Amino acid sequence: MASEQIFVGLEIGTTKICVVVSEGRADGTISILGVGETPSRGIRKGEIVDIETVADCIREALLDAEEKTNVEIGNVWVAITGSHLRSFNNRGTFAVPEERDVILEEDLQAVEINAKEVSLPSQNIFLHTILQGYHVDGRSDVAPVNMEGSMLEADFHIVHGVKTRIHNTLRCIESLKIGIEDVVLSSLASAQVVVTQHQKDLGALVIDMGGGTTDYLVYINGAVRHSGVLALGGDHITNDISIGLRIPASRAETLKVQEGSAADPARSEGGVITLRNDPAFVGCEIDRRALDTIIHLRVREILELVRRDVEASGEGMLGMLGAGVMITGGCARLPGIAQLAEEVFELPVQLTRARDVGGATQTFENPQYSTAIGLTKYAMAVSATIPEESMLQRLTQGLGSLFRRKSR
Amino acid sequence: MSTAPLPRIIAGIGSAGVTVLDRLALQHPGLKGLLIVNNDAESLAASVVQRRLAVPEGDPKEGFLAIEEEFGKVIAGAPAVLLCGGLGGETGSFLLPALAIRAKAEGIPTFACVGMPFTFEGKARKELALTALGKLHGICDAVAVIDNDRLAGGAPSTAAIGDAFLLADKTLLSSLMAIRGMLSTSGPVRITRADLHAVLGMPGSLTHFGSGASGGSNRLHEALEQALKSPLLTLPTKAPALKEASSVLLLLSGPKDLSFAEVQMAVAGIERISGEKCQIKVGVHAESPEGSPLELFVIASSGGKPRSASAAKPDETKSFTPDPVAKPPVDQEKVSSPAKPVRQAPKTTTAVKQTQGVLDLENYQRGRFDKSEPTMVNGEDLDVPTFLRKGVRIGAPQRS
Repeated sequence: MASEQIFVGLEIGTTKICVVVSEGRADGTISILGVGETPSRGIRKGEIVDIETVADCIREALLDAEEKTNVEIGNVWVAITGSHLRSFNNRGTFAVPEERDVILEEDLQAVEINAKEVSLPSQNIFLHTILQGYHVDGRSDVAPVNMEGSMLEADFHIVHGVKTRIHNTLRCIESLKIGIEDVVLSSLASAQVVVTQHQKDLGALVIDMGGGTTDYLVYINGAVRHSGVLALGGDHITNDISIGLRIPASRAETLKVQEGSAADPARSEGGVITLRNDPAFVGCEIDRRALDTIIHLRVREILELVRRDVEASGEGMLGMLGAGVMITGGCARLPGIAQLAEEVFELPVQLTRARDVGGATQTFENPQYSTAIGLTKYAMAVSATIPEESMLQRLTQGLGSLFRRKSR
Repeated sequence: MSTAPLPRIIAGIGSAGVTVLDRLALQHPGLKGLLIVNNDAESLAASVVQRRLAVPEGDPKEGFLAIEEEFGKVIAGAPAVLLCGGLGGETGSFLLPALAIRAKAEGIPTFACVGMPFTFEGKARKELALTALGKLHGICDAVAVIDNDRLAGGAPSTAAIGDAFLLADKTLLSSLMAIRGMLSTSGPVRITRADLHAVLGMPGSLTHFGSGASGGSNRLHEALEQALKSPLLTLPTKAPALKEASSVLLLLSGPKDLSFAEVQMAVAGIERISGEKCQIKVGVHAESPEGSPLELFVIASSGGKPRSASAAKPDETKSFTPDPVAKPPVDQEKVSSPAKPVRQAPKTTTAVKQTQGVLDLENYQRGRFDKSEPTMVNGEDLDVPTFLRKGVRIGAPQRS
């Protein structure tokens, strides 16, 4: 049943909407069959502001993907981002009943439910409860099932967000008669393909700097320890250029992509960039150092905000990042960003993109696609480990009747 | 006089005034200093306002004489008197100026918020109203004029007649709240009586007024948008009134967590529309608990001539001492000081955050994020370009 192994990831980004169709392989890797994409409209800072327009864009991207892959898309995995998302770590406990002394599979669910017994703001719902590790009678990092013990504990990284905002995304997709398998935190999706298990074990900070948002995730000892979203991204760089150099936003975007650099302007060689006349624009000459200054200040600020938040999330957190910082997303293509990040974090920095992926290779060489590709990898990993029923339960518990699961 | 400061007296005159004060009393229970004055016993009896002065029916002049002494007792020692009512009727048109004279005679700063009648109410009413308005301008420190015709101009032609009057009452209340709020501002970001006089003390001018309120996460933008959409902020020629205004008063009133950036955004929002030489005066009155809605009021005027200095009597202003940090009284300050560049908002920096004092408000821009929810981190609006917030100068491109 080959069709069972097809996964579709949908990223509704601020710059582009991207659909990745992948095929799961027996060895646990994925192979990309094709990518559909379309520029976004109606999205600001990672969130939908105009449902109808966005629905049109999604339809285009889905059609594009269907055409390229010859796969009829019925269900998708969706990435979620936005400044409304919040996270925290919590520990759940479960006392094993006295009449039995062995921990059963079902106890794992009980301990997760216990960890979720926290009061969220009334308008928020759970997005993820990501397991960090189990403890049995105080012994850490154990596989508890079938183990003897009286007290089971588990640490979780819990992500939650504003219900209405998450639902808007879902509503938009459902209006196209497309089923939703699950929603996944954007940074978690990216991390599936840009960081190796070894790096997660060493400790890593993944930063996905996209058009509207910068999403980040911290792995310590192989588990997600912290996550965050800043509603700042490439759009802000473009906006800064447009205001600072007094040129239209479309020109600013091209200028950023073609000539921009995040490197320290003090080290810039300077010079002049000539913008040509066109019917709607009077040409001008731009000082390269001015352009570099604008970009450098913005990117440095975003990275510093990430650093500050990661530091605040736990003492000595930065010192535990043995594998350093991984940067992906569209902004990773800015020259000089790695060096700048090294200065900000005082850690080794890598620019990464999807790995351990086969298929349409030119696609995953671009860090812009990390999230959408990561979604399919996540989909595969989740489908392989979690029984269908419990996933369905999680969906209906968390997000209510909006989900109509189609049979796959 | 007792040690506790006496409340400002807010008086509703005539039926329109009583309606407005009823609304005010219901919206702000516990508000002190409310007073209603009318010759209609029924309207007085139905009101929720406790302090009432019943004017005997018949000749308004005699009616006034009958209550004058009582009125004097009520307002004695008050820091200010705000009169509110509709002009055009016999009661309001006579009583409003008469009571204003009485209040000024006590040496109390006096302000009026008045509604001008609809054209369909008849020519006679309009003329009576205009005469009364002229008198009020000569007496009061500031007069906010709500022109019902202009207000109705913004309503659909199918609107019910009742709705038109309802809107008029609501707007009158809103302007009353604006003036009250402005007088309540204190500290470095305040609107003084002189500022009010400069904008609303000119006879023959058109008052432009807008208000908005929002408690959402994007509250500033929503409130500002509501305020700027007000029909009274549009000139009869359909042009935005702020373009013509020489000075604008902006009041932000609401929760304690009102941020510096929100004040800046509000100023920037007004600056985008107003003319280059327009002075913007900002007042902040943020004392409600966090989470309460943010209210935003804009008052401006255009046309009209500044009242000659002799019209304001010096002895009146001398006794104005309710607020120890009050600015020099009206007469010593130029009533409409010309074209001082708009630098009112940086005043906030002295109180709120010294480090942001270098920000050049003329360059304060959010570009494409103009209408989106601001990305606020530590009270800073990060949608504003980093280089602007950090005060880094970027050379202008050379046009070829």
